[in-house]
Amino acid sequence: MKGLIKYGMILGTICLISAGLLACVNLLTKERILAQINNEETASLKEIFPDAVSFSPVKQKDTILYYLAEDSHKNILGAAFKAHGKGYSSVIETMAGVTPDGTITAIKVLNQNETPGLGSRICEVEADTTIFEAMKGKAKQTTPKKPWFQEQFCNKNIDNFDSIEAITGATISSRAVITSVQKRAKEVLEMIKHNQ
Amino acid sequence: MPNRLKVAVSPHIHKPVSVSKIMWSVSLSLIPAGIAGAFIFGFPALWITVISLITAVTTEAVIQKLTNKKISIKDGSAFLTGLLLAYNLPPSVPFWIPVVGSFFSIAIGKMIFGGLGQNIFNPALAGRAFLMASWPSYMTSFTGPLKFDAVTSATPLALLKEGKPLGDVSYMDMFLGLRGGCIGEVCIIALLIGAAYLLFRRYINWQIPFTFILTVGLFTWICGPRGFLTGDGIFHVLSGGLILGAFFMATDYVTSPLTINGQIIFAFGCGLLTAIIRLWGGYPEGVSYAILIMNAATPIIDRFTKTRVYGIVRY
Amino acid sequence: MTEKQQNRCFQEFIKGIIRENPTFVLALGLCPTLAVSTSVSNAIGMGAASTFVLIGSNLIVSLIKKQIPEEIRIPCYIVIIATFVTVVELIMKAYSPALNRALGIYVPLIVVNCIVLGRAEAFASKRTFVHSFMDALGMGIGFTLALMIISIIREFFGFGKIINYPVSYNFHPALVIGMPAGALLVIGLLLGFFNLIKQKK
Repeated sequence: MKGLIKYGMILGTICLISAGLLACVNLLTKERILAQINNEETASLKEIFPDAVSFSPVKQKDTILYYLAEDSHKNILGAAFKAHGKGYSSVIETMAGVTPDGTITAIKVLNQNETPGLGSRICEVEADTTIFEAMKGKAKQTTPKKPWFQEQFCNKNIDNFDSIEAITGATISSRAVITSVQKRAKEVLEMIKHNQ
Repeated sequence: MPNRLKVAVSPHIHKPVSVSKIMWSVSLSLIPAGIAGAFIFGFPALWITVISLITAVTTEAVIQKLTNKKISIKDGSAFLTGLLLAYNLPPSVPFWIPVVGSFFSIAIGKMIFGGLGQNIFNPALAGRAFLMASWPSYMTSFTGPLKFDAVTSATPLALLKEGKPLGDVSYMDMFLGLRGGCIGEVCIIALLIGAAYLLFRRYINWQIPFTFILTVGLFTWICGPRGFLTGDGIFHVLSGGLILGAFFMATDYVTSPLTINGQIIFAFGCGLLTAIIRLWGGYPEGVSYAILIMNAATPIIDRFTKTRVYGIVRY
Repeated sequence: MTEKQQNRCFQEFIKGIIRENPTFVLALGLCPTLAVSTSVSNAIGMGAASTFVLIGSNLIVSLIKKQIPEEIRIPCYIVIIATFVTVVELIMKAYSPALNRALGIYVPLIVVNCIVLGRAEAFASKRTFVHSFMDALGMGIGFTLALMIISIIREFFGFGKIINYPVSYNFHPALVIGMPAGALLVIGLLLGFFNLIKQKK
């Protein structure tokens, strides 16, 4: 009994110190992590509606349902929204933009924990320089390419997703993105109609 | 019928059959199917078979040379592996597919385990599984029969899997091999001629192939698409690589169980897995995977079915 | 420090790289090895993160080894290791979100990497502070090097790339090498190869 209490105290002390240390690290990195997430969010919104000037979040209680993208003349370009789909080993979070007539402007996968090398290829960017060209210094200085899988969604109507090619060996991850974007886009369009 | 293939303790009676004689006989019995394949799919089929054979034999010779072992390419086992691998390839694959596949079959599928008799898996099927997982796009695009213009067409099983109409492929067409598929698997009649020769010479026994084929036929018939007993068992028996697999690959001496009882369990497992993969799995065809999985189960089947030594307590 | 002591320290460091390489000789921590050895950049990131955790946990364990009773040593080690892993994860999220995304779930899973617990249990709990540090450094570098060797092979054959650059537009990589099955194949062949060299010696 005495030993038990002693062990508990020792383990408790170690846990306390660990927790204290983690609290410190958390405090130090919290702002930066939030800033990183925010940066990414605005960057991805810009990527999806490059012509938009302002994004106004449409909220229900405290959760953001979607962002309305407006250009400099206050014309509504469309809505940007987040879709969540169950992939192979994680929930894939995708940001997508849809115009009022149901066309996807672009999509961007924000968060995923899919199998490296397989499911994670939904974020794969096709390189356009081989190693030999790079070593000779012939690297083409072009604008960074977008992931080819996500590129397929651009300017596609949400009812016309059949032509999107799934990734070989990662059908589940591909399907998760396709169906989640499709489903959420329809919901968002429905909501916009409702609000007007 | 008296059971003549019983595995028993010594004394054994010597039979004038050697490994090389069996290997060359099996290879010989596969020739009709190859000729039929070359006739149905044209020159590329022949070309792929030759490349596969040369690579398989060369790989074995080179590895044995490098590891200072006796070069045993004359026993025909590498030749047979190369032949079986080629028969499991679609006729439209690029030339390097049989090269890589044969190399993998011999080097990784066989020699790494210590050579002939030591391998766990059927080398040709190991090679095919490697190719299938590595280049699925090449391994699943087939050309149609008697059309030498390399237009891709799906196999009957792939059509079935995707729920598309089968078109005008009759049982007779399938029996003669007039369908899309791998080089050596399409012409059932040619395969059966070879199999009959092997059965007649008693190089293979009838238990494995018949149990295998019967299980697939019955199971696909029982679990039909429109409910109980509505399946097309005959279609499933004639399609895919079932006949090739059942007679020539499941019967491989090294990777199948020793006793007749064990072989029947093995073949039943192969049949069941094939049917399950075909009906509910991700791939249209499952013969090769079924045999590979049962290869892995062979040691445990052997353990439970081997003939007891007299006087020893069963555990 | 005398020359003999220095030599001893160096021995503790160097053994983790070749003679007791965690992946190829001890065969520890194969789970993250299978998962993240798909590209060289992932391998270096994972190796660096594991090395940091190894050093941290080995140091702390060797410092407080006298205070930890035999009976509850494993939970104590795990708490220490988990702390360092969480620190790594938070720092990675704050300063390199891209790497964090690439490694995904395998960063938190360093907690259960056998190398880290194994070294704490087998080495740091019995040895001095300095030796534990050298051991952790050696093991960490050995693990990173092993990951890099595997990932160079897998990146080339499985994805047709060398350090994220494609080799050629006409090269068809063998997808299976990029999958976990291919990782097992590559590790198995490398293990065999290294054993062959050892036998020849």
